[in-house]
Amino acid sequence: MISDGARADRWTQRRTRKAERLARAARYVRNGRFAASDAVAVLEAILEPRDRVCVEGNNQKQADFLSRSLALVDPSRIHDLHLLISVLGRPEHIDLFERGIAQRVDFSFSGPQSLRLAQLVADEKVQIGAIHTYLELFARYFVDLTPQIALVTADAADGFGNLYTGANTEETPTIVEATAFRDGIVIAQVNEIRDELPRVDIPGSWIDLVVVADRPYAIEPLFTRDPELIDDVQVLMAMLVIRGVYEKHRIKRLNHGIGFDTAAIELLLPTYGESLGLRGEICTHWALNPHPTLIPAIERGWVESVHCFGGELGMERYVAARSDVFFTGSDGSLRSNRAMCQTAGLYANDCFVGSTLQIDRDANSSTATLGRIAGFGGAPNLGNDPHGRRHPSPTWLAMASGDAEIRRGRKVVVQLVQTFRESGVPTFVERLDAVELARSAKLDLPPVMIYGDDVTHVVTEEGIAYLYKAEGVDDRRAALAAIAGVTPVGMLRDSDRTVALRRSGVVAYPEDLGVRRTEASRSLLAARTMRDLVEWSGGLYEPPARFRSW
Amino acid sequence: MKTRISFAELSARERVRALLDPGTFRELIDPFERMRSPYLAEQRIVAQSDDGVVVARGTLGGENAVIVATDGRYLGGSIGEIGGAKIAGALECAADAWARNERTRVAILFDSGGIRLQEANLGILAVAEICDAIVALRAFTPVIAIVAGRVGVYGGMSIAASLCSASIVSEGARVGLNGPDVVEEEAGLAELDARDRPLVWRATGGRRRHAQGQATRFVTDDVDVIRAALHELAIHATPIAPIAPKIPIDPTLSLADFDRELGRRFS
Amino acid sequence: MIETLEIINEGGTPIARRAHIGVVASGNCELLIEPTSEPRARVLIRTSVRGYEAAWRAVIARFFERHPIAARIEIDDFGATPSVVALRLEQALEAAS
Repeated sequence: MISDGARADRWTQRRTRKAERLARAARYVRNGRFAASDAVAVLEAILEPRDRVCVEGNNQKQADFLSRSLALVDPSRIHDLHLLISVLGRPEHIDLFERGIAQRVDFSFSGPQSLRLAQLVADEKVQIGAIHTYLELFARYFVDLTPQIALVTADAADGFGNLYTGANTEETPTIVEATAFRDGIVIAQVNEIRDELPRVDIPGSWIDLVVVADRPYAIEPLFTRDPELIDDVQVLMAMLVIRGVYEKHRIKRLNHGIGFDTAAIELLLPTYGESLGLRGEICTHWALNPHPTLIPAIERGWVESVHCFGGELGMERYVAARSDVFFTGSDGSLRSNRAMCQTAGLYANDCFVGSTLQIDRDANSSTATLGRIAGFGGAPNLGNDPHGRRHPSPTWLAMASGDAEIRRGRKVVVQLVQTFRESGVPTFVERLDAVELARSAKLDLPPVMIYGDDVTHVVTEEGIAYLYKAEGVDDRRAALAAIAGVTPVGMLRDSDRTVALRRSGVVAYPEDLGVRRTEASRSLLAARTMRDLVEWSGGLYEPPARFRSW
Repeated sequence: MKTRISFAELSARERVRALLDPGTFRELIDPFERMRSPYLAEQRIVAQSDDGVVVARGTLGGENAVIVATDGRYLGGSIGEIGGAKIAGALECAADAWARNERTRVAILFDSGGIRLQEANLGILAVAEICDAIVALRAFTPVIAIVAGRVGVYGGMSIAASLCSASIVSEGARVGLNGPDVVEEEAGLAELDARDRPLVWRATGGRRRHAQGQATRFVTDDVDVIRAALHELAIHATPIAPIAPKIPIDPTLSLADFDRELGRRFS
Repeated sequence: MIETLEIINEGGTPIARRAHIGVVASGNCELLIEPTSEPRARVLIRTSVRGYEAAWRAVIARFFERHPIAARIEIDDFGATPSVVALRLEQALEAAS
């Protein structure tokens, strides 16, 4: 019979392994901290081949000191790691695969490195486990993809290893929770050590090791759009959305996918929206990053609350000064949380509006282009109709179809797209590039961003297709073709069918909604330059240098 | 909050119309005359019907006036043969009017990268003629430069602007001979990082030029404010003395040192 | 060289005034619209972007379907998408009314 001691050990292997790993790094560690110059040695001591390592590559902030250090470990000792990362966005993330340090990856978005990632796949230097939407990836951290090591980043730590992540909290608590409570090792890079933190975002007992990085963590202002770049076609589409979707369906709780199209909507609320008498009736509660373009609407009293996925460079002082609107801590600064904001966008919103690069005849949409593997980000989670939803709202109930006793409401999912891209290529296609990409990149499924059967509305500069009202595949296709302008798809439309669809309200052209195309001009925008946004904020908004023209 | 009308947001034509007394704007050689550049088509560039220049007569505070403007959105407001001739011709006509004792106030709205490279020597000649005309006109009346658009003024046109009697510059405008990219390429990143936008505006923006004594008036991007400044300088001012720099400019200072010095004195 | 297209639409109600809008900037176009004595609309397009004749004809045809006018129209184009062109035509017509 096996002794009790050995039997007990069988069920606590992870704890034992964790202690062994930490012991190997002990000589570099003092009071829970190690020096930046020892980072590579610490990683080499703690990691083992084939480990599942979560690197905090968020949408906005990146644990770049730790990822740069990881890229310098000796591949003969540390190799074939399984990388878990939200955004595969930095050059050294790709270097990990080039050097054989990592071999497999599960991620959500790769934006800046989409080309190199495609090349890695072609060269068979990486195996993609799967491409996820953010919330889905976090979910797997708690099921079958729990990180053994998490490399995260924070603004500051105190002597107890408590972390302050402030406005840019993003995914840190989620990654750390999954790792810490399954006996993983959490290593945090910080910008500085402070005696007293403004507030504790993550408790020190969840953190194993802290290092002060060589420079502040990398962070990008991804949600800032210069109003100067919004043109009158985008203003026209924004007017159609406000009139033909927000007003019609009384949309109060929503998310805007980032883009110039949605920035135009935000800037039109205090002007066009006001002229329609809609303040207080629409757009009151948001799941949204702190978009500078929402400032005028907030200042004019349109917005009751905003919960944020992350922060936005330059918006810190403004957000802190508007704590009635944003989620802020007792210290005054923003607290963002991607996992919770994605959940809010999933279940507590009645509407999602996003733009896309390509849309097929069934309203499946994708931003995938051949030769690049970019992934999804958060849109698939926000732009779907969650069947688990139970609480009603007027908007959700009004979207229900039919008279059956057992029926459910529906989330309004809007795809915004001009009929042609800037390059002159049509956005309406017979077949998404995503289909070919799946073949060439050996993906199990074509990377569709939003599936057609989740889409309730498509808006182009030609008008709106109320797909949720269409009956059957044919009607849906006819409705889409009716707003597809002079694209090949649009040229196939039947004019009699279009007339019938307009009569039944499945399709609406601007004149059907009382929108005059010539009213669409930049002068309708509440702010037309970054300088205007600064003025609207009373000087609280501080645009990053790249957006300055004064 | 938004009661001011942005000058920079307006087209060249709208800017001229906004500065002249209401209802007095009359364009000369307007787009319908189709005086286009004959040199661009063979270079695969579409010629604009006004060649990127607006010339108009009207009144300014009741006095006859001529205002010319470059369209910064067409080929960067660059000067070619036709556009240059429109400007120089308008200024020469104004001088002729003065010679006949007809008072004619003059303003030039500079929003231009300088000479249009595609028209090479013809652009250079045009700018030379513009400079000539400005100097000739200054004998009769103040010639007011307004630099308040998104391009600012560079190259040969910055020389023309500097020859004007007085200037009105906005916060968003930049005034320089060489563009930031050229400075970076020629003098190196340490001298000027063209991507450092706040630095570019600190070094060549309206606020700096005014602080250095190179611009007469510094204004916000506001049509009413610019119009008022123009009235003041074009009509009511007595002949304007040459502008003395408020601080002596040591030509041997590097830009970084000069910037530090300016920051020290004007913070 | 610049690609030139002429498109004619027979018939139509004459317009009263002329108008000029737009600018020849990237992704944009300038448009001149004038009354004509001919019983037709004549559209002259100059563009630096080749190969879009079908799209131009389609956009112009749709415009005249909505607004059967007789006029002389000139478009100087620098890569405006059909979306932009369609909007400029509407803006020009409104300015000429």
